[in-house]
Amino acid sequence: MEHSNLELLKSVFKGIAFTGEEELSFAKLWKERHFKQNGLITEAGSIERYFYVVIEGVQAIYLLDQKGEKVVLGFSYAGSPSGVFDSFIHQKPSDTFLEALKPSRLLAISRNEYLHLFEKHPELHQWGHYFFRDILFGRLFREVELLTLSAEERYVAFMRRCPEELKVIPQKYLASYLNMKPETFSRLRASVSY
Amino acid sequence: MATLVLTPEQQIQRLNSILNKVEVLQKLPLNRLITAPNTKSWNVLEVLEHLRIAYSLYDKKIENALVGSPSSNLDSWSFKARPWQRFLIEGQRPKGKKRPFKIKTLKRFEPLLDDKSLSEEASDSIFENFFTAYQLLKSSIVESRQKQMKHRPFASAIGPVVRFYLPEAFEFLICHAERHLVQIEEILASQK
Repeated sequence: MEHSNLELLKSVFKGIAFTGEEELSFAKLWKERHFKQNGLITEAGSIERYFYVVIEGVQAIYLLDQKGEKVVLGFSYAGSPSGVFDSFIHQKPSDTFLEALKPSRLLAISRNEYLHLFEKHPELHQWGHYFFRDILFGRLFREVELLTLSAEERYVAFMRRCPEELKVIPQKYLASYLNMKPETFSRLRASVSY
Repeated sequence: MATLVLTPEQQIQRLNSILNKVEVLQKLPLNRLITAPNTKSWNVLEVLEHLRIAYSLYDKKIENALVGSPSSNLDSWSFKARPWQRFLIEGQRPKGKKRPFKIKTLKRFEPLLDDKSLSEEASDSIFENFFTAYQLLKSSIVESRQKQMKHRPFASAIGPVVRFYLPEAFEFLICHAERHLVQIEEILASQK
């Protein structure tokens, strides 16, 4: 594994003190997977097989509404974890798609290896606690924003905090994430500074 | 009739649901798979074999259409089904747990399995062939996401009177499979 990829993993799994040997076997559990632009990483109706850490690219997680329109729930990008976590944990068919919006390179660990890691390093349970706590708080924060802010306020709040690489993905994905029409997003982008 | 807008993501999700349901069927004991409600009806294995035959009539046509479709760097396609094709698709699509109306099966679509030869091995082979066929169909839909739907439409399995673009053919085959899964539920319910 490239040194930069190992550093990336260590930054995600921060707080875990591996010995030199443990670090080596930890690194061996991860495989690099590549996806073309628009490639489906996980399909709705299939079971998520991997927990990912993103090396490069932007991915969207979305589900389909009754009309078949994509409803974007979130994004992952360089340095962040990715995957369909509920399907990964429960090994049940996913309700969501995970799609590479840009050519993507991801580090993947299988479920068996992931669970084995937790058995071997019990301190990972604390990491898991913080990881899923942050996800929960993130979802709650987003719910509050969706319920209480105007479209313009949602746009400004999002653009202020989102990384640059997310600003160049197709507008319809950002618009869907912010629960507005692409036309509204386009108008705000042209008229509102942040 | 309302507009029918097709997308590959919708089709992939439904096809995965079909594959998951058939995986569950594979775990049933053989006697349930080979028992038909009456002498005129099919059993579960015959239905699955019928679905494989139906797909096999589109296999090459889909492959050729994909080869003939230009690549796309844009978002995956969204396709409005044409009126006559939409009518045929809707004729297949089950309405909830009901099949809208019964359709007489043409001879060349009939599974023609010998009930006496339906051993465990034969059953495994029918499931395997089904999964191979419908995984291939899914691969074609996934591949089509990177293509523009600007190929020459091809004749359906009932002849050139109905010509399909790829999204219409995918939808027809998926609705056809969904319809027959309802039939399978009816067959299994009749055994209780």
